[in-house]
Amino acid sequence: MTTSYNIKVSTFCNSHGIATSLLDSLVEYELVHIRVIESEPYLAQEELPKVEKLIRLHQDMGINPEGIQAIDHLLNRVIDLQKEVHNLKSRLNRYDS
Amino acid sequence: MEYVDYYKILGLDNKATQADIKKAYRKLARKHHPDLNPNDAEAEKRFKQINEANEVLSDPEKRKKYDQYGKDWQHADEFEKARQSRNSSGGYSTGGGFNEGYADSDFSDFFESMFGGNRGGAGGFRSSGRSVKFRGQDFNASLEIDMKDAFKTHKQTLTVNGKNIRITIPAGIEDGQTIKISGHGGPGANGGPNGDLFITFSIRNTTHFKREGANLYKDVEVPLTTAVLGGSLTTETFDSKVKLTIKPHTQQDTQVKLKGKGFPVYKRDGSFGDLFITYKIKMPQHLTAEQKHLFEELRKANL
Repeated sequence: MTTSYNIKVSTFCNSHGIATSLLDSLVEYELVHIRVIESEPYLAQEELPKVEKLIRLHQDMGINPEGIQAIDHLLNRVIDLQKEVHNLKSRLNRYDS
Repeated sequence: MEYVDYYKILGLDNKATQADIKKAYRKLARKHHPDLNPNDAEAEKRFKQINEANEVLSDPEKRKKYDQYGKDWQHADEFEKARQSRNSSGGYSTGGGFNEGYADSDFSDFFESMFGGNRGGAGGFRSSGRSVKFRGQDFNASLEIDMKDAFKTHKQTLTVNGKNIRITIPAGIEDGQTIKISGHGGPGANGGPNGDLFITFSIRNTTHFKREGANLYKDVEVPLTTAVLGGSLTTETFDSKVKLTIKPHTQQDTQVKLKGKGFPVYKRDGSFGDLFITYKIKMPQHLTAEQKHLFEELRKANL
């Protein structure tokens, strides 16, 4: 599936009431990916849920970009562990009568 | 409809100051924030309660009304009036097993009875203070289907917030798997895209098969004489029957693999997992006189 970078970063920042510097930091930490098309940075629509989640962490809980990076890393580990637990439960189920 | 003790939810008493409320709310909301508790419906529910408690207690007018009438809300005419006029909320429904997800917009019936369905001006964790939302809210829901239905790609019509949507459920979907239905979440604001609908599947298994990914597992009973001398027997696969050749001297718990007789591989048309059959040798529980005599002869022959 091709990724469509069709959301202007400036439009996104305006509509969410955030400074572009916050998004710049998230890009710097490789939490968000942008593509520059004709000198204008764009976000991929597929990435919106993740970007919005990271911004909520900042706006709702006052977490800075460094903290967001750590949380994102830990959340990914939580999700991986949840998947592993689910797979193990599924395997265990084979041995239950 | 039950009385909701907003003070208890925030771990406070009714003498709490605005500073106490703010502090307690921030502490609890951080702990139960849905973004920090992925796939945890309980945390989502708790977060809603905390938000609702804060919505009421941090607003002096609402708090006053709550303190005055809270426990006696059923007897207050104005509350009754509000209750009768309140709109019924959306939510998901369908013919079978589709449960409401945990979208985070709804308030308890108690709240809506007392204050109506609209949010006030107090600052909630989510979306308040932000007048424009680019993308609509994502909805989460769960859907239970039978394992037999998961064997074949099929279509199902669901009703989501009053709208019918027809989805295709690919064969081989797994228990706990989530699929995304793009654009069927909450409406976007200011021309933005709609949110997505995420459906997590729960597979109900009433068959004799155990499933692990695309592989199936099943026990098959083998008569003692067939296990010793060899032979054949017929058993059911998930969607047909198969003839098994039992080798002589087959031991208890011998496992055989029937390639391609398992469950469909998700989104790989025509590709199937394997069926693993474990032989369970059936010991006789009763012998006729003749059978017993024959076993005695076998014993004499040192078997």
